[in-house]
Amino acid sequence: MTPSTYTPAPERRFNVGDRERVKNANPPGHRRTPAYIRGKQGEIERVCGRFPNPEELAYGFDGEPRRVLYRVQFKQREVWGSYAGSNHDLIEVEIYEHWLEPA
Amino acid sequence: MSPNPADIGGQAAGPIDTVDHGMKFWEKQANALRNTLTSRKLVRLDELRRAAEDLGDRYYRLGYFERTTEAMRNLLLEKGLFTRGELDGKIEEVRKRYDS
Repeated sequence: MTPSTYTPAPERRFNVGDRERVKNANPPGHRRTPAYIRGKQGEIERVCGRFPNPEELAYGFDGEPRRVLYRVQFKQREVWGSYAGSNHDLIEVEIYEHWLEPA
Repeated sequence: MSPNPADIGGQAAGPIDTVDHGMKFWEKQANALRNTLTSRKLVRLDELRRAAEDLGDRYYRLGYFERTTEAMRNLLLEKGLFTRGELDGKIEEVRKRYDS
């Protein structure tokens, strides 16, 4: 079995419960933040760990420095303009720290 | 919206084909090759994904295995594991063997 690549993230910018906003940017290249969530405000649900940056790995580099990955909760109604479900409905997206800024 | 063909969350998808079409022999071979390359760490999954996105409009014209295989070929050429000439030569050799 492949050992887990999980590494703890003691040095990080955000904590569980923090409100933040996803950067609203469209840089070229291989990006791991879906377009539909850019510019939206959410809340940190958990800290997933620190991982080699896949946006660098994609071009054959080593992915250093590692980036902290968070699971972030968003209200479905705030993500999709036409969302007809409950205001309690959430969508969770895993987003790297360099895509997040304080709300 | 991003023009990235791998980033289509929230866009209208149309009807989805849920029929299992199975795998052709060459598709199994291509998968095996891809698994070998990643397990030997000659290429990374992130690189293969990026190479598939780099196909641009071709991405939409190709089937799933054609897309991943073409991305794999482009990546291996990019990384210099073999040259275009070596690849063309090998294809010619296999074609002759197949046709005879």
